[in-house]
Amino acid sequence: MWAWLMQRVTAVLLIVCLAIHLTETHILNIGKLNSHNILVRLANRGMVAVDLILLAAAIFHALNGLRMVLMDYWFTSRSRARMLCGVLWVAGIVLMVYGTWALWPWIGPK
Amino acid sequence: MLRRKPIETANVGSGLWKGLGMWAWLLFRISGLLLVLYLIAHIIVISTGQFHKLDALMKDFDNPVLILADLALVVAVLYHALNGVRIILMDFGVGIKRHKIMFWIAMAVVVACFAVFGYVSFTYLITGKGVVS
Repeated sequence: MWAWLMQRVTAVLLIVCLAIHLTETHILNIGKLNSHNILVRLANRGMVAVDLILLAAAIFHALNGLRMVLMDYWFTSRSRARMLCGVLWVAGIVLMVYGTWALWPWIGPK
Repeated sequence: MLRRKPIETANVGSGLWKGLGMWAWLLFRISGLLLVLYLIAHIIVISTGQFHKLDALMKDFDNPVLILADLALVVAVLYHALNGVRIILMDFGVGIKRHKIMFWIAMAVVVACFAVFGYVSFTYLITGKGVVS
């Protein structure tokens, strides 16, 4: 039940955060994206929050969606589903840590 | 089983393709899988770590093929998002007696949003500048 609910909660979060992210990168700053431009934008802590929420919501939504598709075809028994869940949780945490580390040059202390 | 009304079928040659709903589901699934792959690639690519490497990467990405690929990505995102909104609305009971209208309204919003992104991207492709100075 939680997976069903969180898929929809993250979906709404993604729509909001992606709208902001795509407008900033794709419309307002197209052709002007470079590390300095990103530094200026991420100096605003609100934008940092949007990016981190986007990262977390996207990772959850994507891996849960992947889980749904995989369970339709291959991971059909209870034990296999459990193993898949474990693998996906590990992958999700790794991706979240990696993505936050990637943002660190811009958001960490100088 | 006898059918009194003929059902609408997509003419793809196989007997199981029975209508708009199946296409909606299939495109939802395909766009979702493509977006998972894109997400992982995006996180890895953006994490080059050093500013000068990222700047070089941004310059490399500034070519027409990749700008058009970017637009294709936007289409996948828009389709997946708007179809998802339709699903969430129907979870709440909105429009459950009007499935097709719900789908086509979602598609109309996709076209409207894509018009904006397409305009910005093509302006950039042609003039080399964005629409916002």
